Amino acid sequence: MVIREMSPDRLSTTYAALADPTRRAILARLASGEASVTELAEPFDMSLPAVSKHLKVLERAGLITRGRRAQWRPCQLDPGPLKDAADWLEHYRCFWEESFARLDEYLGELQTENPKDGG
Amino acid sequence: MAAETVTVPAEVVIRRIFDAPRRLVFDAWTDPEHLARWWGPQGFAIIDCKAEVRPGGVWHRTMRSPEGNVIRKHGVYREIVAPERLVFTYVSDDAEGNPGPPTLVTVTFADGGGKTRLTLRQTLFESATARDAHHVGWTSCLERFAEYLAKRAVDIR
Repeated sequence: MVIREMSPDRLSTTYAALADPTRRAILARLASGEASVTELAEPFDMSLPAVSKHLKVLERAGLITRGRRAQWRPCQLDPGPLKDAADWLEHYRCFWEESFARLDEYLGELQTENPKDGG
Repeated sequence: MAAETVTVPAEVVIRRIFDAPRRLVFDAWTDPEHLARWWGPQGFAIIDCKAEVRPGGVWHRTMRSPEGNVIRKHGVYREIVAPERLVFTYVSDDAEGNPGPPTLVTVTFADGGGKTRLTLRQTLFESATARDAHHVGWTSCLERFAEYLAKRAVDIR
């Protein structure tokens, strides 16, 4: 197993952006289609500038893109960084699966050597 | 073209039954001598293993891969309830020694009459509090991501 050639900084940025419940709710909303800042602000008891701040964090993390042509600059979800994050977690899954195979074997050895151990 | 499987980047959950008493499985997770015998993929050698098993205590494992790369993993123990539950942060450094994103690992050990049902959950959150508070919203949010990503998977590549 090799450490992935993925920038930890980029992943950290993705995770920092995902760590906030409002930002996750915004992403969930965008998963069903593009939306304006006003539309995104509706479900929250929050000012437009506050929502804009969250959007800036998401945009910096590459999780969303903002339209340039339309005046209302619709926000869209960009799944790229999410996919990287998923790949990175999947690396951990492999790590555990392989470790657990060894643990299983090792526990077997321990009990053969010392059948009274544990309890 | 086959649809690509996209895993939702929320958490890793693995369940296993080990044919050993709970106390022994718990010890295998907390005693550095035991840990050095199984931690890491096949062919990896543990060259340094430390486990201060108390809340706030640090752990680290330095491993050498079969190709000779040195890999360091480390974290801090958050919660220890012997022989039931173990919570610790987990960070993997990259080849240059830069720490990756912090994750939180919760391992539970359930007694199954001489066997042990182990559940490992690894999440992206730094704190157990944050994880617990946001778990519900996070899950439903990510279910929608999963659908979305599945739809978009073909476009990504």
